[in-house]
Amino acid sequence: MSGATTTGGPQAIRAENVVKVFGKVTALAGVSLNVAPGETLGILGDNGAGKSTLVKILTGYHQPDSGQVFVDGRPVRLGSVDEARALGIECVYQDLALVNGLSIYHNMFLNRELLWGGPLKLLDHRAMRRRAAEALAEIGVDVPSVELEVGMLSGGQRQAIAVARAVYSQARILLLDEPLAAMGAREARLIIGLIERLKARGDIAIVMIAHNYAQTLEICDRVMLMQHGAVTFESQTAATSAEELLEIVRREYRAVRAG
Amino acid sequence: MSLSPQAVERIAAPRRGIARRVYDFVLRPEASVIVVSVALIVYFELANANFLTNDNLETVSQFVAAPVIIACGEIMLLICREIDLSVGQVFALSPFIMEHAHAVGLPVVAAIAAALAVCALIGLVIGLITIGLKVPSFITTLGMLFLITGVTLTISRGFPANTPGGPLLTGIMGAWGYSEIVWAVAIVAVMHVVLRHTRWGLHTIAIGGNIVAAAEAGIAINRIKIGNFILTSTLGGFAGLLEAFRVGSTDPLAGGSTIMFLGVASGVIGGTAIAGGAGTIVGGLVGGIMLGVLQDGFTLQGINAFAFDIIIGAAILIAMVANIHLARLRGGGA
Repeated sequence: MSGATTTGGPQAIRAENVVKVFGKVTALAGVSLNVAPGETLGILGDNGAGKSTLVKILTGYHQPDSGQVFVDGRPVRLGSVDEARALGIECVYQDLALVNGLSIYHNMFLNRELLWGGPLKLLDHRAMRRRAAEALAEIGVDVPSVELEVGMLSGGQRQAIAVARAVYSQARILLLDEPLAAMGAREARLIIGLIERLKARGDIAIVMIAHNYAQTLEICDRVMLMQHGAVTFESQTAATSAEELLEIVRREYRAVRAG
Repeated sequence: MSLSPQAVERIAAPRRGIARRVYDFVLRPEASVIVVSVALIVYFELANANFLTNDNLETVSQFVAAPVIIACGEIMLLICREIDLSVGQVFALSPFIMEHAHAVGLPVVAAIAAALAVCALIGLVIGLITIGLKVPSFITTLGMLFLITGVTLTISRGFPANTPGGPLLTGIMGAWGYSEIVWAVAIVAVMHVVLRHTRWGLHTIAIGGNIVAAAEAGIAINRIKIGNFILTSTLGGFAGLLEAFRVGSTDPLAGGSTIMFLGVASGVIGGTAIAGGAGTIVGGLVGGIMLGVLQDGFTLQGINAFAFDIIIGAAILIAMVANIHLARLRGGGA
């Protein structure tokens, strides 16, 4: 069942037969994927299935031993995180990379601050507050004030700020590493709503690593199940169910026990 | 899908309202220190009519100035999780550099510049060792502390030296009673702008708050840290020069660890987190004033020097504990 469902339509990011070996461990044994603009792909799988390695290759953190990554249909070499970023690939990791002691708007503009003209190059706090508020409003993230320190926000709000920052930096391919991990129902709802609004924009391809089958099926257009470094199942979410996915995993457990 | 324009207005607006402002101010680290300082001033004035006299205020201002100038550098370092223990030794060295430069024929102003350049170079060396060799700055500057003391004693041969300069320059640089505190306040003003209104300051805070996030955002961490070491050494050297001009001569054992710790304590009392990521320059000024008022007030009361150290130590402890708990109340990272 492996292999990407190449639709022939527009593609934001595509990987073909990506192999990654760490010493004696084959983390990825020829994985292919394809995500169109506006599409959301959920990657499910156990720990050690190769999900994180795959994402790290797509963000330029690791380089594949063989195989090819395409962005907008063109073959690319993602030699570093910066190179991937320059191509519009942004990743929101679980640690979120936010500075708790700084305000929301300072975090959103970290290292690309807006400055007043003139020789002193002072920070234009007012413009940053406004642009941050607009960017958050555009994707429907509500906070009491952009002046709040990020440390005072809930886990879901922090995740939303991290996603908003990635989107604001012109991300066209957004990789989300366990965006719903360790989040209560209300918080998860916040993030699910945000991802749905991003999907509705239609210009961002989202790849999401997740554990929770039900939530993934709810959010994503397509799901991919990874086991032992390979894609063992792939389907449109409409055509599958949590039961079917569980059954595949269960089958494997039985095989291991029998084996 | 998106929020209303009114919502954008609301989110973007600075937080207003008197209650909100009062609440924010009360929870600011400087606030409690200001209240305590004012209370101390009132107490000392009631207990001793000589407190609020021109002569005494001049004395207080001279005690406050040097630690506050040093605090401006140490606060920047503490925020990005570094410290400079050797700044008090740079304080002592820099007047001797100036005097030697003057002795070989440089005009006083050029000699001042030469002294500051040497201090900046010391900061650069501290920064390069700390960053390049991955030595904690606590260790680097502990080594530099002894090394610079040795250098100062060697070039001075252990003797004090007279400060050069004509009356005008001497007056500007410290001989006029309030010139040191004017310099200190001016430096506080500039450093406040640097910390709150420049990328340098924002990145310093980001490095101390979450170094991984700062690196992922592409902030030049090493450049900022080394720059803050250079800044601290230079400010320490400048404070030493002011002191030398005020006193008219300079002692090879001036300043030292005492002035360094007064600077660090001023910063921490004023609300700078010893664990990095947060701090205020204005807090350093307020903290320095509090220490100065305490020192001077107790001296006027005739409390002996031994008891004084006990009181100062206790005051610093109380202020630091108060700050850590206030930071927790504010909900941000301490």
